[in-house]
Amino acid sequence: MLCSIVPPYMLRRIAAQSEPRLWAVARAAKESLLHIKDLQAVRAAPAPSTPPSVVAAKPSPPKRTIYDADTSENLPGRVVRKEGAAPIGDAAADEAYDGLGSTHRLYAEIFGRDSIDGAGLALDATVHYGNLYDNAFWDGNQMVFGDGDGEIFQRFTKSVSVIGHELAHGVTQFTAGLNYRNQAGALNESMSDVFGVLVEQYLKKETTEQASWLIGEGLFTDKVQGAALRSMKAPGTAYDDDILGKDPQPDSMDTYVRTSADNGGVHINSGIPNRAFYLVASELGGNAWGAPGQIWYGTLTSGSLPSACTFGKFAKTTAATAEELFGVGSVEHDAVLKAWETVKVKV
Amino acid sequence: MKITVQRSGGIAAMTRVWSVEAVSDDDKERWMPIVEACPWDEAKSQARTVNEPDRFMYSIRAGQRRATLPERAVTGPWQELVECAKAEGSESRGRLGARR
Repeated sequence: MLCSIVPPYMLRRIAAQSEPRLWAVARAAKESLLHIKDLQAVRAAPAPSTPPSVVAAKPSPPKRTIYDADTSENLPGRVVRKEGAAPIGDAAADEAYDGLGSTHRLYAEIFGRDSIDGAGLALDATVHYGNLYDNAFWDGNQMVFGDGDGEIFQRFTKSVSVIGHELAHGVTQFTAGLNYRNQAGALNESMSDVFGVLVEQYLKKETTEQASWLIGEGLFTDKVQGAALRSMKAPGTAYDDDILGKDPQPDSMDTYVRTSADNGGVHINSGIPNRAFYLVASELGGNAWGAPGQIWYGTLTSGSLPSACTFGKFAKTTAATAEELFGVGSVEHDAVLKAWETVKVKV
Repeated sequence: MKITVQRSGGIAAMTRVWSVEAVSDDDKERWMPIVEACPWDEAKSQARTVNEPDRFMYSIRAGQRRATLPERAVTGPWQELVECAKAEGSESRGRLGARR
């Protein structure tokens, strides 16, 4: 039998806390209340084989290891810095170490999450991957960063939003498990952009108004006419360059891109849910890791998203999460509904 | 024979295309073994393989043959074909599909 050591009346009181520093605690209390409600409904039924945790455990400190691939494509490479060790003087390795720490801190302090898998997963990253490799990716187990080609891209560890983006793919893998194709893939990408910018904003303590809302700011060399890879505030405006062309992201369903490339345009159509998140944050003001982040994180971890999730299903779940956290007709709930209406996704 | 390698995806989602026209006998003689060495029939089963987040996707054409491969599958003869096309082909930036 699953039991909570904290009585329901106390959980309800904690859950009602609106002070930002108590959001993680309030969320844990709300989750506990939901579990208790479920238990009351099925008390006569057999105990589940894997009981959900009642109260979120205190997140453990990060366990980071940085590897160097020495421009090969062999992973993970040789260890160059472990948890607690001093900087080694290699910009990519030290940026990766710091970026992993900033990402771990956001999840722990704001969402009460114990690393990427919620169970203290060690954070591994490889830098100097490949020869002039112009990319960064999550391979299912670790992050991998290239040095860039020096013509268009600089090293990919330069942007903390990119580091946060890659780790968020891990969080999505361990929670909603969104497919990496078509609309589910675009949502997978959008989750990474959302939590990537939140890592950067939380690190810099920026408000919604102060933040750039750019993904990968500073990655381009000075030969490129562009500010970043993507803009969540104004999708389609991040770059406009003679060689690269124009940022192809749509900002509403009116300009949704149908393509077989890029796994069905996962990095392209992510502009639509990205903008929805920005609009919620803009409407509410303050810190985006507050109510907007809580609604999106709650949605991602709700257990309600199918792996082949559509924009419509995701939008409905954000509205339901906002309602659950803040109530029907609350400014947060209204902001979510208005944002999806603006980007023309039906809720 | 026209050989085209299109690379899409990656965190930056910028599509790059490398094209080679193997017109002369010498060109055909050099490119045919590279093309023939690739397991085109096996590639069909990889077309719907789930890719790792932010990795590149490759669409490769050589004459009438076509293959779509996740980056992880671009090894051996595929890697040689891709590397040769990148090294010798003319490059253009691809455009993604039509807007709705």
